Amino acid sequence: MAWQDYEHDMQRCTRCSYCKYIPWRYIKDFNYMEGCPSAARYHWHAYAAGGKFNLSYALMQGAIEIDDTFLDVLYKCMMDGSCDIACKVQQDIEPLQHMQELRIECVDQGYLLPQHQPFLRSLRNEDNLLLKPRAERGDWAANLDVKRVTQENAEVVYFAGCRYSYDQELWPTAQAGVKLLQQAGVDVGILGADEACCAGRAYELGYEGELTKFAEHHADTLKTVGAKVLVTPCSDCYGTFKVLYEKIGKKLGIEVYHITQYLEKLIQEGKLQPKKPIDLKVTYHDPCHLGRLGEPWIDWEGKEYKPKGMQIWLHDPPKKYRRGTNGVYDPPRNIIKSIPGVELVEMYRTREYAWCCGAGGGVIDAYPDFAQWTGAERLKEARAVGAEAIVSACPWCKRNFLNSAKQTGNDIKILDIIELVQESI
Amino acid sequence: MRLTTEEYKALEDIVGPEYITQDPVIMESYCQVWGNKLEFGDKRHRPPAAVLLPGSTEEIQAIVRFCNQADILFKPSARAFEYVATHLARERGILLELKRLNRILEIDPKNMHAVVEPFVTMYQLLDAAGKQGFYVGKPGVGYSAAVISLACCHQEMTISQLYTSGYGRNVLGCEWVLPTGDVLNLGTANREGGWFSGDGPGFSLRGILRGRAGANGGHGVITKCSVKLYPWYADSPTEYELSRGPGEAISAAQIDKVPDNYRVNVLTFPDTEKMMKAARDIGHAEIACIVAPAYLTTGFREEGNDEQWAKMTASPPDPNEIVRMVPVFVNGHSTRELEYRERAVMAAMEKWGGHLDPQWNSEKVKAQIFMYQIWSTGVFLRATGDFMLSTQGLDGSLESQLKYRTVEFQALQPFADAGDIVHPTMGMSYRPMEHFSLGFSGGIATGIDPWDPLSFAAARKYLDIVYDPDGPCRPYSYTNRGAMMQIEDIEHVHERWGPLYDNADLWLQKVRNMLDPNRVADWSAYIPPEYSKEKGE
Repeated sequence: MAWQDYEHDMQRCTRCSYCKYIPWRYIKDFNYMEGCPSAARYHWHAYAAGGKFNLSYALMQGAIEIDDTFLDVLYKCMMDGSCDIACKVQQDIEPLQHMQELRIECVDQGYLLPQHQPFLRSLRNEDNLLLKPRAERGDWAANLDVKRVTQENAEVVYFAGCRYSYDQELWPTAQAGVKLLQQAGVDVGILGADEACCAGRAYELGYEGELTKFAEHHADTLKTVGAKVLVTPCSDCYGTFKVLYEKIGKKLGIEVYHITQYLEKLIQEGKLQPKKPIDLKVTYHDPCHLGRLGEPWIDWEGKEYKPKGMQIWLHDPPKKYRRGTNGVYDPPRNIIKSIPGVELVEMYRTREYAWCCGAGGGVIDAYPDFAQWTGAERLKEARAVGAEAIVSACPWCKRNFLNSAKQTGNDIKILDIIELVQESI
Repeated sequence: MRLTTEEYKALEDIVGPEYITQDPVIMESYCQVWGNKLEFGDKRHRPPAAVLLPGSTEEIQAIVRFCNQADILFKPSARAFEYVATHLARERGILLELKRLNRILEIDPKNMHAVVEPFVTMYQLLDAAGKQGFYVGKPGVGYSAAVISLACCHQEMTISQLYTSGYGRNVLGCEWVLPTGDVLNLGTANREGGWFSGDGPGFSLRGILRGRAGANGGHGVITKCSVKLYPWYADSPTEYELSRGPGEAISAAQIDKVPDNYRVNVLTFPDTEKMMKAARDIGHAEIACIVAPAYLTTGFREEGNDEQWAKMTASPPDPNEIVRMVPVFVNGHSTRELEYRERAVMAAMEKWGGHLDPQWNSEKVKAQIFMYQIWSTGVFLRATGDFMLSTQGLDGSLESQLKYRTVEFQALQPFADAGDIVHPTMGMSYRPMEHFSLGFSGGIATGIDPWDPLSFAAARKYLDIVYDPDGPCRPYSYTNRGAMMQIEDIEHVHERWGPLYDNADLWLQKVRNMLDPNRVADWSAYIPPEYSKEKGE
């Protein structure tokens, strides 16, 4: 659907502002009621999803044009989908899809954000978003005794993703993920230097063609290597493979797991046994792309209609909305609970209505101060519930939390769930 | 640019550059409110010339004084979820978004009142007060409705008003920036005694401040307000654990049981009249905290329209059922008191031939009703993105209401039969006050689709009937017209109905013009300084 196809949604947005907050019934502490980082950080209603419906409606009427303010409003947003979840408690409309289409329109029309361009060039020339050479992509695993699936067959391909491949500080975690699988007896291999970006981030920025290109590339590559299962420790990659490729009709032809799902399975099967007690009070941060945005894509094609003599908009065939319900929430929690000594405390904003880490939607690249502010808010929340450590399941979350902690001096421990399991094995 | 550079600079100097904008893109998010379509023909209406976020009473005073000097219209706005919340009567008008004034300043348990700033929502106050054993009343317009907006600025209601009275009657002291920029402290707000009295000692202008329908931002800015609190015998909203089944949407989450110090019963009667009379007896007995005739369906919503429709078609609602049912809540601080009150409710039920229908009285359903009626359901706008309340707000006795509901249903019926306006299953609710000696209609919440030309035209025609001073609603008061200011031209309402009520409109204009000699406070949902002069601008 194009952005203009959401005109009815623009009309039906009631300015209730629910998109700014977590669903009200779930508020546990009014200091942590905000759901949308953009609306919380920037003053004007335009920065909320409802405001963006207003902007589109004005754009359709020719009342405004796309300009720097418009792009500022549109791109100071993590595309984390919190608005979408809260809105859909009350409405049958699609704030997130609308914003996605608006970004695609801006790119199609040549309204590009200059800050994004180096990253896009890096993607096009070097197959990654981290401004690094393609040749260095496999360096993270240089000292790792693991199969290269392009050279020998493996049942499971471990897909590290751009962040783990190039962010040296995070390499130990990426390596630990492989080692855990090996310890459990999994026949695992990596793509190494032959791995490329999933392109989910580029799609979120509005570069639709990049997603298609990389989806096709990955489908071809994975077909060649012949693995049956793909496991990724990156939530962004997971969301892209599981949801976005499905959305654009590209099939990877392989079973996709996030590492938390796979580790949970291995623990349940007794192939991994966290035994070493860890005396730590932790809280779990749901990565957006694993949680609400990791919910499987639901394809719907049909028409809106009103039944005769009734004022209610329905769909033929009936439409199932993605409300975040079926994201990956329990596997990471089950893993944490399986580790002796670890106490899990929940933050005020969890699961479908978790607060974003701040890295998503291109914000970490274009507006690092906003990304760090958002991450710092989450660390503050983790502290507020008494956690000694915040555990996530995505390298983008960890990177941004590390940046935020450094910036604000918050000394909370920042861990990926892989590290926690590794320490306990 | 509708403000000159000098004007903008002067305002910027007051609030700081971070808190003012006139960017055309940003302005577009301050001129699109759902009710605009019905009143102005499109959702998008005139953008403000600028939006400011003042951070203090002093800044608001300075802004207002400058508006007086420069002849700029101003309008305060809190959560802005209202039909014409962002509409300004003139192009040279600015909005003051009050989001920086967001503190609960005080909860005084001894004197049972709370002092809040304009951006505090009723839900926030319910929670903070609940933690200290107090209740304020459920906002009928959703979680995000602001306390001061409800108490001081709009037509007001709460389903618990039998117990808590209406929001408008709970206003105590206020700090009020008048349209001249002067601060007026109402009640005892300006005395060492604190905020707790609205009617003296100290002088009360509550009638002027808000009247029945509120000035809707038309007579200045209420920067602080004290409201009464009532006893509460359970947890506060944020303390409940909600549960839902695996795979269920978050909207499905519920509490498991009614809290121990509350009892909920849903009484069903042979007809509406008997239901209303039983409800009145219960009200007169002063034993219940919520008696909500014909107000049951609220909140019983599936996760989406398609799911709702599937349920409705599988089990069609009986429109005659809801209108003869009444949920009754009692509370008490001891088991003995609670049981006594519940027995009294049962006695009233039996007297009027009522019974407890099992499908509405299971533990699960009662818990759901409790949560929805005590906290909030949000506002149900999902069906079409809009709904229209009928005339709403008849102040009168139960007998008057019984007559009025017939008149209004008859007016609605042809449109409902044609399917252009959906006839609700909930009927017309009656919101009792003063232990049922007085009350008003909660209105018929009619489903309309403003984007469907037939539905839109039907809504317009229906409104023309109920607004016709020579029409069937003539005997049922001017004040309820006031409640409709959101969706009916303000001049139309006052010019046509004022003369029927001792020229009340002219008195209202006098008050308005006395408070606002330079005519800078927006009047789009209050009353114009004079009729017609501003039209066509």
